[in-house]
Amino acid sequence: MNTGPYSDEKVQRFIEERFLPVRSECSWDKPTPLMEKYGIKWTPTFLVHDIEGKEHHRFVGFVPTDDLFAQLGLGIGKIFYDSDKMDDAIRQFQTVIERHPGAGATPEAIFLKGVAEYKHTQDAKALRRVYEALSAGYPQSEWARRAQPYSAIPL
Amino acid sequence: MAGIRWEREFGVALEKAKQSGKPVFQDFWFED
Repeated sequence: MNTGPYSDEKVQRFIEERFLPVRSECSWDKPTPLMEKYGIKWTPTFLVHDIEGKEHHRFVGFVPTDDLFAQLGLGIGKIFYDSDKMDDAIRQFQTVIERHPGAGATPEAIFLKGVAEYKHTQDAKALRRVYEALSAGYPQSEWARRAQPYSAIPL
Repeated sequence: MAGIRWEREFGVALEKAKQSGKPVFQDFWFED
């Protein structure tokens, strides 16, 4: 129940303080209604929903502790982002970037932070900075490739 | 800490999320 990253007290505290945690058991012989609703094809699959139950983020497969923190933080940021709360989204993505620079979710946090900044300020330099940060720090990530068109924006 | 206090029912979790304002973290798992 509380194995893997869940055995870490910091993870426990973070999840308890920031989320309403729910575990949904899967059955492959007879998929449950929740499995059908959310298209669950493998476990573990993790979803982050807003308070209305709308999904904003998902990740599949085992994740070590640092990656779990980053994924959960990214999920919170995406709820703000999808709700057009760009100030809050920027702060949340920045927290992920600063606290978990080596996590797999961090390049996406950098990308979305830049887009949120652009939406907030209408300053395209934010997008160019996304390209610079990703190409320098995460050149192999798909998010660096997605940011490539922003390399033409003058700083 | 005594561990994570997981809800088992998604509907109950959503109700509690609305009351608390916290987002829901859902773990789909399989016990083999």
